[in-house]
Amino acid sequence: MVNLTIDGRQIKAREGMTLLQAAREHGIDIPTLCHNDALEPYGACRVCLVEITYKNGRNRLVTSCLYPVEEGLSVSTNSERVTANRKILVELLLARCSGEKVIQDLARKLGVESPPFRPEYIERNACILCAQCVRACQEVVGVSAISLANRGVSREVAPPFLETATACIGCGSCVYICPTQCIKMEDVGDTRFIHNWSVEFKLKKCKVCGNHFAPEAQLEYITAKANLPPGFFDTCTTCR
Amino acid sequence: MENFAIYVPRLLPQEENLAPGHRACIGCGEVLAVRLVCKALGRRVIVSNATGCMEIVSSPYPTTSWRVPWMHTLFENTAATASGMEAGLKALNRKGKKAITAKVVAMAGDGGTSDIGLQALSGALERGHNFLFVCYDNEAYMNTGIQRSSATPFGASTTTSPAGKLSIGQTSRKKDLTAIVVAHRIPYVATACPSYPFDLINKVEKAAAIQGPAYLQVLSPCPTGWRHPSDLAVRMGRLAVETGVFPLYEVENGKYKLNLDLPKLRPVMDYLKPQGRFRHLPAEEVERIQEQVTADYEELKKKAGVGA
Repeated sequence: MVNLTIDGRQIKAREGMTLLQAAREHGIDIPTLCHNDALEPYGACRVCLVEITYKNGRNRLVTSCLYPVEEGLSVSTNSERVTANRKILVELLLARCSGEKVIQDLARKLGVESPPFRPEYIERNACILCAQCVRACQEVVGVSAISLANRGVSREVAPPFLETATACIGCGSCVYICPTQCIKMEDVGDTRFIHNWSVEFKLKKCKVCGNHFAPEAQLEYITAKANLPPGFFDTCTTCR
Repeated sequence: MENFAIYVPRLLPQEENLAPGHRACIGCGEVLAVRLVCKALGRRVIVSNATGCMEIVSSPYPTTSWRVPWMHTLFENTAATASGMEAGLKALNRKGKKAITAKVVAMAGDGGTSDIGLQALSGALERGHNFLFVCYDNEAYMNTGIQRSSATPFGASTTTSPAGKLSIGQTSRKKDLTAIVVAHRIPYVATACPSYPFDLINKVEKAAAIQGPAYLQVLSPCPTGWRHPSDLAVRMGRLAVETGVFPLYEVENGKYKLNLDLPKLRPVMDYLKPQGRFRHLPAEEVERIQEQVTADYEELKKKAGVGA
């Protein structure tokens, strides 16, 4: 076990844990935007930053989702320096995604009323570039159908060559994980659309009840991956 | 409702707020629902739990499965206790003792909601307390040995409405509790089922975020009481929804919305057949149930303004 202090509280954490995990386990709230328990830590949004003080008195700001616990470390999750830095991050995010509820809520919590920029710089972009969709597609699903493209202000999540995500299996993981719900999936009749990646899938029809239950491409992918006998997915989960 | 499959469940929170090792029956649909509800609520909650299956299986002295603040109350006063908790939190915050941001959640079975706890629930809803009431509807008093409640559906055989030569089981129809709750004009009412986990989690999150009373009716298949094989609990929930017996819908500020509108309903026989409690039903009674279900579903569709 590792002994450290978070916000003045003595905490015992397991070796290899991150500061964020240790804090959350003890009910200490650190805001995050790009963190997800199912994914590897990424450190893109940086709102989880905390101030750490080493035993020798040196201190610095680190992202708590990436920094492992250390013996004798003293951590502050809401010191003046942390709050000031976090506020700037949120102001910038608010300027980019002024219409998104997650950002607005976080801003309100930190006391940011509106971004300190001229109105022509305020955008209503729906994507906060947390890359959770990209990482879920790569780490959890394992197809890497989408990725981050371009740099700087034109950075975006996109299918290869900004065309069609040919590797997509239509599982909807990106749709589910998106904290701003900016990826749209729609089932119309026997077709599933994911508009952001300009893909469409034919849905499999159940042999017994006739309901459409999953994209054919996804069932083929799972059949191949799990070595299932052909015809395993002829019926839906209710009829099987 | 989006149809998520295989990979999306891996993206759910890993944290379990209802510890395993409780004493629920094999294949219990209710404990599955409780687990998902607790997952969706997170740790900033205070639970007021009525007597019933969930209280018994989760807290045999001196152990407990609850990893969140939890209180056992009587059948009749769950909603009243929750109101008190909410008022207490308000008072503490007003006096500036400590800023506590916790959602108060009341949980009860169908007996604790539609029979014994109804007047306390009605009172709490009417007073507009900021709390969420979750009813785990397994359609009888399962914990004490399958006695009928007002949520038991027509034709079901229970120990106090047994089927025999002169009886076809429960003679009255299931009380439409969601309609009673909707009549209180509260901000959010919904029905859910653990067989549709994402829908359930979505609804819990939505309900917990609302300021004011919210109500969730969760159908919880019960292998012991419904007398179906214990591996079919999830399928029974799906069948209940797909046959139209228990449609999934939500009512936001009085506006109905169907969450799963199937092109065609299954025949109710698909749902009744695997269950021992309906085994005695003759064909004409099944026909009657089918007519009632179809009529109710059409009425619901009209309310939701679908396919009129």
